[in-house]
Amino acid sequence: MLVSLSSTMLLTLFFIMLIASGLSGILLLHPRVPLSFVRIHIGINAIPPLISLLALVNTNVNYDTIGPWFLDSLAWLVVFFVLTIGLIIQRFSIRYFMGDYSYRKYFAYFTFTTGAASITWLCGDLRFLVLFWGVTLVGLTILIGLNRRWQVVSEAARVSKRFFMLSWLSLLFAAIWLFQATGQWQFSLALTNENLAQLGTWERTGISLLIVLTVIIPAAQWPFQRWLIESVAAPTPVSAIMHAGLVNAGGIILTRFSPLFNGDIASIILIILASISVLLGSGINLVQVDYKRQLVGSTMGQMGFMLIQCALGAYVAAVIHLVLHGLFKATLFLQAGSAVRHIELSTHVNESSSYLWIMVGRALGLIVGVSFWLMAPVAGYPLISALILGWSLSVSWTQLVALGEGRIGRIVGLSIIGVFAIVYFIIHNLFYEWLHISVNQSVQLPISVVIIVVGLLLLGSAIGTWGARNHSSSIFPALYLWLVRLGEAKLKSVDSHPNYLKHLINTRR
Amino acid sequence: MSGTSVLTKQKINKKDSDINHKEIDIEVLTKSASRVIAPLWSISTFAARNPWMGLEKHSFDRVAAWLKNSRNVDIYPSASMIISAKSNGEIDETYIKMGLQRWIDSHSFKIPRETLEQYCHSALKLDSLPSYLLSSQKLKVLAEEFSGLNTDSIDHSMQPISSRIDIEGGKRLVDLLDYHMIMWCKLYLDDSQAGWKMPNREEGFYRAWQRLIQYDPALSKKQRKHLIGFPKEAKLALKKAIFALEIPESQIQGYLEGHLLSLPGWAGMMLWRSRQSSQEQELLTEYLAVRVSMEYALIKPYLPLHNQQSESEVSVVPLIASWLHWGGLSIEDWSKLSVAEQNEYLTFAYQFNDMVRRKICLEAWEQTYSEQLCQKIGAKQREADDKKSKLAQFVFCIDVRSEPFRRQLEKEGPFETIGIAGFFGVPIATSELGSNHSHPSLPVISKPQHIIKESVNDYELKSYQQRKSAVNSLTYTFKMMKQNVLSSLLLPELSGPWLSLQMVARSFVPKKANRFIRNLRETWLRKPNTALTLNHDKNIEAELPVGFSAEEKVKYVREALKLMGLTENFASLVVICGHGSQSTNNPYASALECGACGGASGGFNARVLATLCNLPEVRAELSSEGIEIPEKTVFVAAEHKTTVDELDWIYVPELSETAQEAFNYIQAILPKVSQRANSKRLALLPNFKSVFKDPNAEAHRFAEDWSEIRPEWGLARNAAFIIGQRELTKDCDLEGRVFLHNYDWKQDESGELLANIIAGPGTVSQWINLQYYASTVAPHYYGSGNKAMQTVTSGIGVMQGNASDLLTGLPWQSVMESDHEAFHSPLRLLIVIQAPSKYVERLLNNDSSLREKVQNNWVRFASVEPDGHWINWN
Ligand SMILES: [Zn+2]
Repeated sequence: MLVSLSSTMLLTLFFIMLIASGLSGILLLHPRVPLSFVRIHIGINAIPPLISLLALVNTNVNYDTIGPWFLDSLAWLVVFFVLTIGLIIQRFSIRYFMGDYSYRKYFAYFTFTTGAASITWLCGDLRFLVLFWGVTLVGLTILIGLNRRWQVVSEAARVSKRFFMLSWLSLLFAAIWLFQATGQWQFSLALTNENLAQLGTWERTGISLLIVLTVIIPAAQWPFQRWLIESVAAPTPVSAIMHAGLVNAGGIILTRFSPLFNGDIASIILIILASISVLLGSGINLVQVDYKRQLVGSTMGQMGFMLIQCALGAYVAAVIHLVLHGLFKATLFLQAGSAVRHIELSTHVNESSSYLWIMVGRALGLIVGVSFWLMAPVAGYPLISALILGWSLSVSWTQLVALGEGRIGRIVGLSIIGVFAIVYFIIHNLFYEWLHISVNQSVQLPISVVIIVVGLLLLGSAIGTWGARNHSSSIFPALYLWLVRLGEAKLKSVDSHPNYLKHLINTRR
Repeated sequence: MSGTSVLTKQKINKKDSDINHKEIDIEVLTKSASRVIAPLWSISTFAARNPWMGLEKHSFDRVAAWLKNSRNVDIYPSASMIISAKSNGEIDETYIKMGLQRWIDSHSFKIPRETLEQYCHSALKLDSLPSYLLSSQKLKVLAEEFSGLNTDSIDHSMQPISSRIDIEGGKRLVDLLDYHMIMWCKLYLDDSQAGWKMPNREEGFYRAWQRLIQYDPALSKKQRKHLIGFPKEAKLALKKAIFALEIPESQIQGYLEGHLLSLPGWAGMMLWRSRQSSQEQELLTEYLAVRVSMEYALIKPYLPLHNQQSESEVSVVPLIASWLHWGGLSIEDWSKLSVAEQNEYLTFAYQFNDMVRRKICLEAWEQTYSEQLCQKIGAKQREADDKKSKLAQFVFCIDVRSEPFRRQLEKEGPFETIGIAGFFGVPIATSELGSNHSHPSLPVISKPQHIIKESVNDYELKSYQQRKSAVNSLTYTFKMMKQNVLSSLLLPELSGPWLSLQMVARSFVPKKANRFIRNLRETWLRKPNTALTLNHDKNIEAELPVGFSAEEKVKYVREALKLMGLTENFASLVVICGHGSQSTNNPYASALECGACGGASGGFNARVLATLCNLPEVRAELSSEGIEIPEKTVFVAAEHKTTVDELDWIYVPELSETAQEAFNYIQAILPKVSQRANSKRLALLPNFKSVFKDPNAEAHRFAEDWSEIRPEWGLARNAAFIIGQRELTKDCDLEGRVFLHNYDWKQDESGELLANIIAGPGTVSQWINLQYYASTVAPHYYGSGNKAMQTVTSGIGVMQGNASDLLTGLPWQSVMESDHEAFHSPLRLLIVIQAPSKYVERLLNNDSSLREKVQNNWVRFASVEPDGHWINWN
């Protein structure tokens, strides 16, 4: 490292700047402060993520504990990620919310929510962690329901509040139980091997189950997906922050509590619920026609995948996935206005001449998948990873190379695959180098569970393809409608016309 | 006035007996009922649409009352809008007083005139009654003496029966019905957004629904059972459901109207689709069949219904309170009045209601505007124009955004500017290079006659198509991977880094990032220089003839030149300017494009006309008819980019020497014109500051920023359509509120030109005007809701929140400056014709639809005599 800054100094600096951004958010709430102050506010908000980046680069192999804070590369990475997403979304909101009744409030609450979330992931002390996570959830609930004139979003906020409360209480009990059992509030001390060895089996399972409940609710896993489905009604930037910065909290919590999970019943339950959610999420994504609702389905599936990764002990892979998915989903939400686009597909391609090319792609996918699996040090997760890699290669090859139009098309297709693959591997290597997460990987789920998950994923994929082609069977309509209904909001959260606007034009300043 | 049944009156007179329902022609009824909605087309070709296009036979006020009574939709401007317009000086109090006198004179009350006037004047301030009065115990006692006023009962027949049944959660059964219908409509109408298509979709809406409904988990087993054995045919099913619901025959049409008005957006989309292809021509009937059958299944447990059609009593307390508050009476004064007098007072207060008050204010607002416009035009010295030679002539679209730009342009040199409808009279569908899709580039009220394609040689076309499909295949691969369970799990990790790069760049350097992405795309595509298929080609098979015949070319050029009034004194350079807009991440992008070109840029049409005008054979033919286009005159085409007020050249052939001089001169002054036009325009857009060092740069920021919610104001604040010579309006600052069409009555002895202008551009501007009007006064019903909470659905439109009607009009942000301040002034279009009154009379006599619109107050109508005298015709 060129500059070696002490962790204490960076942490102090970080908190000072975070408080400054919070204060500027509060200042902005005051009606006498000119609206143009919002740009200064964004400037102040840009500093904390920069400091966290600096801290991330500076973090050495091990972790530091300073008071209640637990500082390692994962903590700083997540802080950097959450604050950066928050910053981008606030920057977006400057123009996007122009003229909104709650203009000032949006910035204040965005700052408040992302600030609290970032502090949460720095906490080493469970009491602080629970507290700040609660504050984050409160902030998000307020953001969802900020347009309180509209009964639809109030209802969505109400539903979310109930679900979040359950999740938060579950975390609270888990923390208290852990303290009861180990006498430690610091999770790094509570989850040492000696302490864990002293836990009774039922205690360990009980705490694990509470943690599982804690994480699957924000991740909108079946059967707790409803809050995410109903909160599509929230404004686009709020959805962006929700899908990018909040739903993935489960991955971080599980990583932090990883020593607790040793492949017992809690892990099995987690993996089952997550696998179901992957299938349901993908199903919703397949049948829905609304742009934002498709994104909800996708998030549900992606979060299921992240939890599968955690359950199989692939914590680094899960963190990579949660960060990249967050950025991906935030972008897709922010560009929701571009969803009206006509893509004209050329019909010049001769399918039969491409057949050979398609076969080449499948073979290539198979080879890449198998070799990836063989090279992996452990069984478990790499099998799933290999399957997905190989499959994706085959799909993208078919679209980009085999069905590419003319020589230009194929060359371009090949180069796209090449470039994407290179970037993919560079990014993954970078993450693996950066993230020094000491996780207990000794205990693995039995390989049979992995194979069941693989089987489920393959089955889902097969049903997906079958559904797109075959309509004559009578199971299909039932499945189709069931998936549609699963992705729809309840009647209470639907308003055939945005009637609250009528009240807006009737109110006087 | 009992407004509720106004629209169904003709039907009621038919004999209403227990005729077998099987004999009714359900299709005819559906067709008549469909006039209460308007067809809605896809958001990608958002063109102006008058939501009341089928109701112009009735007066505006009647439709207003009917909508208020049957749907609780208020189409007069709200009190707060009127008050704020008053404080801005947009409403002259004298007009309010005049309107009030007219109203009082047309009614008779046995109340002292002085008392009446005092009451009315205070009431017209539009403040609301204080709540302490409304909740006052004393008033309640006073009110108890009245058993209720004799007024018209509120007729529920226009509302679906399900709206009378309350279910849990503060909802009514009709809300549940709407909820189901929204889902079925969006699934059926999906334009390849979902990975799985709706099963049996190709069999039509009703059939697909009928086969699926048995599997719908949202219905209970019992409800599904009610639908077993429903006919396979939509018409029969609709009849069966209507019969089962026991709707009297006389009320069927009204009943169907009520159902159509519940979700006018989805129903409008069905109506539009039914007119597009013969396969779907019964789509609206199918929609109603699904809807009423569903209603039947939902309502069955509640049958038989008790007749809840109660006489709704008028609450007397607010009426008395209004006399105390506005009429200056005290409670003692009130008690001293005899019962008969009290009744008279109450009747008066009831009749001079909120709607009447706001109607008077709206009319005053319109009259004030018309007076101000009259002053503006009249104040100027009208020197005889000697048609001295101009350096160049510019032809613009009538669009209100052209006017400020034309004004700045005229300031900078000896230019003449002309306004005509932006499709320039060429009724074509356009097809861009390498595309199978064609766009009808003309007002939506007419159908294209020709198709014009861009063409290049085969080799270039092929390589261009390959480059283009390479770009598209990336988007398509993304979609395919997203729709596959396994590859979708890897997608975020593959595309995440690229998307985040794009997100960061677009957030912190929006202008540069968007420009970079656009340039990258354009550089890769390298679109070759194309020719247009102007010559008629019998060999190309298409629905429409490709290209024009020799006679047609001459015909269109001749008509266009006559419409422009440009048949002599040609400058050496004539610039045909279409207009287009540029915005990023905006689902309403096409709402900012040219309304006369069906929601697309008018550049293509400009290029077609300019090319035609340059053809030697066309010129030769025209010259034999007496239209002599000098050899040195060259026509070029350009595009006026309204978001940044710039002129882009799109077709510049070889120029003559004088034309080249003019061209160079224009090139030199254009930056200044843009600068000035932009700085005036930007001052109106919500921003942190209103003065910019470099307005062009800021305008580009508006166009390229993906987070910009109002890239430009579009046609907001439009108010008038002036048909006349440019000299009439030259040097007037019309604030970008006026459509300008050139017209010289001296050249139009038969009145045909004028009739065409009114029928074509006149209708387009009226539709634009009413769309803005409706979106402002009833944003929840006719607007499109808040852009921040919309989601694009089925690839054809937007919904608000979790699900909603397919929203039809302009979004909230397009008409409102902020949540508490309107930008658009809801005024009905003022059409002003510069011609002698006998021309205007002839026009009104010949054009019954115009007469209807004027008489029924859908437009306001005025003319300017040759001597500058202003006449109001309403
Ligand atoms: Zn236009």
